[in-house]
Amino acid sequence: MDAFLTSRVISDLLGGMTNGMIYGLVALSLVLVWRSTGILNFAQGAMPMFAVYVGMVALGHYFGYWVCVGIALFAGFVIGAGTERILVRPLYGKPEINPIVVMVGFLTVLEAVAAAIWSSVPRGLPSPFSPIDYRLGGLPLAVSPFSLYEIITSLAVMAAVAMLFRYTNLGLQLRASALAPEVSRLLGVRVNRMLTLGWTLSTGVGTITAILVSSNFFTGLTPQVMDGIFAFGFIAAAVGGLDSPVGSIVAGVVMGIILQFVGDYVNSNAIILAAVAILIVSLMARPNGVFSPVRTRRV
Amino acid sequence: MNVASVTRSKIIWLVVAIIGVAVAFVATPNASDAVAASVLFVVIVVSAAGFSSASFRQWHPVLARAAKVLVVTCATLFATFFFSETTNFNLATGAAMSVTLVGLSFLTGISGQISLGNGAFMGVGAFVMAMWANHHATTPIVLALLIAIAGGAVVGLLLGLPATRLRGPYLAGMTLAFAVAFDAILNYFNSWTGGDGGLQLPRSTNPPGWLLRLFSHGVAPLTANTLWLTDITIVATGVAFFFMANLFASRVGRAMRLVRDNEVGAELVGVNLARTRVLAFVISSSYAALGGALWTLINNSATPSTYSFALSIVILSVLVIGGIGTIPGALIGGLIYAYSTNVIAWFTARTGLNPQGNLASQLNGIIFGGLLIVTMMFAPRGVAGLYRTFRRRQIIKGPDVNQPVEETYAEA
Amino acid sequence: MIRVSNLTVAYGAVKALTDVSFEAPTGAITAVLGANGAGKTTLLRTLSGLKAPLAGSITRDDVELVGMRTENIARLGIAHVPEGRGVIGEFTVEENLRLGALNAKVSAKDSLATQYERFPILGERRRQHADQLSGGERQILSMARALIAQPTSLLLDEPSLGLAPLITAQIMATIKELCASDGLTVILVEQNASSALRIADRAIVLNVGHVVAYDSAAVVAADEKLRQYYLGMAV
Repeated sequence: MDAFLTSRVISDLLGGMTNGMIYGLVALSLVLVWRSTGILNFAQGAMPMFAVYVGMVALGHYFGYWVCVGIALFAGFVIGAGTERILVRPLYGKPEINPIVVMVGFLTVLEAVAAAIWSSVPRGLPSPFSPIDYRLGGLPLAVSPFSLYEIITSLAVMAAVAMLFRYTNLGLQLRASALAPEVSRLLGVRVNRMLTLGWTLSTGVGTITAILVSSNFFTGLTPQVMDGIFAFGFIAAAVGGLDSPVGSIVAGVVMGIILQFVGDYVNSNAIILAAVAILIVSLMARPNGVFSPVRTRRV
Repeated sequence: MNVASVTRSKIIWLVVAIIGVAVAFVATPNASDAVAASVLFVVIVVSAAGFSSASFRQWHPVLARAAKVLVVTCATLFATFFFSETTNFNLATGAAMSVTLVGLSFLTGISGQISLGNGAFMGVGAFVMAMWANHHATTPIVLALLIAIAGGAVVGLLLGLPATRLRGPYLAGMTLAFAVAFDAILNYFNSWTGGDGGLQLPRSTNPPGWLLRLFSHGVAPLTANTLWLTDITIVATGVAFFFMANLFASRVGRAMRLVRDNEVGAELVGVNLARTRVLAFVISSSYAALGGALWTLINNSATPSTYSFALSIVILSVLVIGGIGTIPGALIGGLIYAYSTNVIAWFTARTGLNPQGNLASQLNGIIFGGLLIVTMMFAPRGVAGLYRTFRRRQIIKGPDVNQPVEETYAEA
Repeated sequence: MIRVSNLTVAYGAVKALTDVSFEAPTGAITAVLGANGAGKTTLLRTLSGLKAPLAGSITRDDVELVGMRTENIARLGIAHVPEGRGVIGEFTVEENLRLGALNAKVSAKDSLATQYERFPILGERRRQHADQLSGGERQILSMARALIAQPTSLLLDEPSLGLAPLITAQIMATIKELCASDGLTVILVEQNASSALRIADRAIVLNVGHVVAYDSAAVVAADEKLRQYYLGMAV
């Protein structure tokens, strides 16, 4: 049994699942901003990255890990709300390429400013969880205290967001503001506030993801650190369906597992190729995502 | 048009010409280049103004376009004989970029599909050109370019087929994924593509003997390699733009605009949605491939690091600033691309910023990204669009707040 | 009471309403009639704050509404059932109602129960997605959604649009009952002048943004010229 659990297959499975949780979180934040404001936020990786750098500043003043996390999270909320009010609000109702281009520009600026202020040298956010794998009968199990931290945090965030959208009045208002803003206004919903809240929440989720990534002993924090993760997270969201939070999380985890196996059994270059192949194949089969609800309408 | 509006339009042209001259002086390495560039710029502006007269265009649109393209191309060719090597190199780089840009302008502006992967398509053309030249060194340049274009078309088809069923964000994301994956693809096939170092062309391209003999009296001005390559690029660019201008105005172009604006209506009129979208994709990827192949020619090599995702972002940025969906916008974008590094360097020198410091190295990104945001928010149709909106307001007195977008694209 | 004074609304250079004035008394139904393009929908949208007027004022019990945000006007108890019903298709019937109930002074559970009692068909279909309802059911849903917050004023934009005559009659009857039982101030925009005039107390006729008639419903219904030229009714 021990040999099985520490075998290559299980190691890949566990490692892939941990990575997949991260992709799922990014996918979730993309779905959040899509469902609440109808915009695909290409800066969804860069904004949290910047927030974590802000948290890092506190680290320089000898504050502990959790204080930095708190500051980063707060910075993420502020960045999310600020971006919505300043950059995105004027673009509602314009052709859909406009916000995409603006967000791509914002992504470029954020990465450049971060590199200008803090340079591209990788930094670490030292988490109190050891990255050394647990051992089972003397052999390493692909689970460490740190990966447990990642998994539990991810699950907690996903559950919280799911409950918010499904069961609360706030979630109802958020969804309504995105689907039918005018009608929602007529019903007394403060739509503008909901839109800002949608971005704030989504950047918050993104910041948690960035914190997890930066706390990872093997990655650390650079201005470009979230680029690849954003790409994978986006693919997960597209495969699972931008309208389906559960779908994109599941897609993220599955993708994480598949990619781990590809990386291990083929070579590291093939990882992104496999991801793109997954994207293309699934979009050909289900252009709106695998888990998007397909309903017939009475015309 | 009354007297006041005609004078106003002439003043605008004058202001544009002055700005162009100023930029020429800032961006070029020496004074003689700047003078030649300014003269060229004025010639282009004047001919563009002249050939834009509505009556000429209505009389024979294709001929009008051909005349415009011919004049601009010949003037530029003539000017290259007076430019220094650096300027010619920059010019060629910018021209090749504008070929890519006009293809993207078509895809996004006319067909309404968002693509973030054109840097990768440039890479396809660049590497097909390099690989072919390495195996068949004696192929004439034109044929090699056509082969590179074909390569771009094939890849465009492969990506375009799944793209037909995708909407906005999904399509953008798919092209983004392709752009990000391109590097890995090149690496995976590194026996063909030469790995990190890329490929060199087997021997430098020289002008053919018969052309040299044509100019053999006195100095042989075409012996300079860069000059020859720049001229090839300019001719190729001219031809590409001519085709694109006609495409914008043709039935195909109209069908694409219809698909962009009103899918149901388009289907009712018998337009095949999927085929139109794929066609737009293939055209844009072919143009990008041509641009990349020209770059390989100019640089005598193709390296993977050039065709990164960052390139796709830069392509989008300069096109947005120049003006998406327009043809002059692609030209402006190409110029901006070629000279932005120079202008930014000049700016850095003037303000005494440490050129090795963190801020200076990131200035490119900050400025481009910032311009992208500002342009999209305040002038979404770019420089070319600003000019057109201005001209529209003169011709049509009265409320023009909601001009339909098609009208600005009707001019080639 | 809702009072509209010298209201002028324009879209660019085109005036949709010019100097419109009238009063909609409390507890009564005021019908706004006229042909297509007369400005009826614009009037309701301006009342709800979705469109800002060029000039004029709108007051509800002497509180000025012009310049207020739409959601704040709604929170004042002025409910607007928009043209085309505005039912959120992706939500279930119950979710649509819950959305309306956010404004309610009573608990959501109680308000829902009241509406299900009043409109049993909604109770039957409460878990279905709203885009699976028929036109008449959607009309009932959007009215219930407006009523669930216990508004004091109700603005209805062409409730009979696209509905069969039998359903239209039922809906008109429902509106009349509700107005009587809840003491609502109702402004009813309709192209179907005859059904509207049957239940209305007062009527205004608009033509290309101008008020051409403003009187009790009975008087307007009897006027031959109005019937022929503006209301499309048989003379």
